[in-house]
Amino acid sequence: MRRSGIWIGGAILTLVVLAGVFAPWIAPHDPYAQDLTRRLAVPFWMEGALPEHLLGTDQLGRDYLSRLIFGARVSLIIGAMVVVVSGAIGITLGVLGGFFGGRVDDVVLFLITCRLSIPVVLVALAVVGLLGSSTTLVVAVLGLLLWDRFAVVARATTMQVRNLDYVAAAWAAGSSTPRILISEVLPNIMTHLAVVGTLEMALAILLEAALSFLGLGVPPPLPSWGLMIAEGRDFMFFSAWVIWIPGIALFTLVLAINLLGDGLRDLFGAAPS
Amino acid sequence: MSTPAIEIRDLEKRFIVKQGLFGTPRHVRAVDGVTLSIPTGATLGIVGESGCGKSTLARLILGLLPASAGSVLVEGQDLSRLDRRARARLIQPVFQDPFSSLNPRRSIGDIVAMPLVAQGVAGRETRSRVAEMLEQVGISPDMASRYPAQLSGGQRQRIAIARALVLRPRILLCDEPTSALDVSVQSQILNLLADLRRSLNLTTIFISHNLAVVEHIADTVAVMYLGRIVEEAQAQALFATPRHPYTRALLASVLTPEPGLGVPDVGLGDVLPDPSNIPPGCRFHPRCPVAIARCSLQTPPRVDGAECHLLSA
Repeated sequence: MRRSGIWIGGAILTLVVLAGVFAPWIAPHDPYAQDLTRRLAVPFWMEGALPEHLLGTDQLGRDYLSRLIFGARVSLIIGAMVVVVSGAIGITLGVLGGFFGGRVDDVVLFLITCRLSIPVVLVALAVVGLLGSSTTLVVAVLGLLLWDRFAVVARATTMQVRNLDYVAAAWAAGSSTPRILISEVLPNIMTHLAVVGTLEMALAILLEAALSFLGLGVPPPLPSWGLMIAEGRDFMFFSAWVIWIPGIALFTLVLAINLLGDGLRDLFGAAPS
Repeated sequence: MSTPAIEIRDLEKRFIVKQGLFGTPRHVRAVDGVTLSIPTGATLGIVGESGCGKSTLARLILGLLPASAGSVLVEGQDLSRLDRRARARLIQPVFQDPFSSLNPRRSIGDIVAMPLVAQGVAGRETRSRVAEMLEQVGISPDMASRYPAQLSGGQRQRIAIARALVLRPRILLCDEPTSALDVSVQSQILNLLADLRRSLNLTTIFISHNLAVVEHIADTVAVMYLGRIVEEAQAQALFATPRHPYTRALLASVLTPEPGLGVPDVGLGDVLPDPSNIPPGCRFHPRCPVAIARCSLQTPPRVDGAECHLLSA
């Protein structure tokens, strides 16, 4: 039972990743092709569905399944890029603070406190509002704002590892400080950071959807799930599926990533090292 | 006599312990004026109870902690003035717990190669020296690709010894190298250390609270109490005729396997030593069974290797 989460989460995430990677081959239609004669076609389980549009079409007659599949790309790319950027910042700061302590740690703690006092959504809205929306900007803003948990976890785990004898042995063997950090400290805190990575990825995907919903995320006509929900807003009373199909997709992906993260945490927590 | 392999001069370490925001900081003298020297090829045992500063002394000698005062010279060179590579070639440690002294994420081969890599030795030479070193400590070179979690405690300690000796250091500093091991494995590790010491002409510092182990391996023994060496003598002499009352108490405290004897009464009382509040005069006097009035007033001079008023009188 406890291990099922990691399998379910991993399986769903793998499916979504495969869908995103092979989107051009598995999507039945061009996600940008409009067909105004077939607007808001219903999905297959409803009366009057069109056989070539499995999940129906949106308000511009674009195939919903194809947009959903290409939308997985946007979510995953933004999620992964944000984790890379925020992970690089957070892990660097956390490891330096935790390893050196003293003044360095004071500075790192100050930066973490500063970061925690900044409201992410507000700053993201302001920056994107000022500079215009683009995928790069969303990644940059979220990456620069979501590193705090990486820093906190990296700092705490580094402080534990720093005092272990193998670090002392590496020091006594004449290893340089960068080498000690890279080959003795980092590999031993990586498991904890992987768990943080999944949490941050889920959060970044949700935030991207939220920004896109507000019209400040990825620019249309790019098929982002948040943007699809926003565009379907006006039709939700008569064509509710245009909202809840991408909604369910978003929910499932975030749930899968969180299940995977929880599973990894339990797995590593139970390991002796 | 030629220059000693290692010479420790007036080594001292004070920690400042802050007590809350407005409390007055207290000085903890963990190591207080330790002077020792060991001739090449000899083994010095350092014994003392928990908290007497043995491990702090080890860390000071290695340079893991900066000393507050004093110096450590290996073959006439001040360790604190050497760069990390040169220092690593002179002195290497073996730590107490082989479970925390080996990086669990690196293979045995990588762990033993680590000091060579830090020295910039090339790949092929590294591999042959690692294989040779593993054989010397009784580990098959085929095991180089395994990870520490796959080894027993004794095997792990052999790996730790291999890592320490792969650079052929002059000094080997063992900080309680057997106390985390099963009794059956302890003697194997001790014999291995004794063999390696002879074949590599190593000078060894052996820190332990286990008197039997020290008697087995050391040429000279230093007894540490509250950060200070209170007695230093040849191993045989020290165990046969202990001079300092603390040494006598330590020897009396050894548990014997004979039934019916119970826990020995060493006559030290219930007062525990506190390195942040070292007693004036002789630091041992509050616990000393034979203390006289002078002991709480004057610091005893060292006479024939022991610091006690009763010996000088």
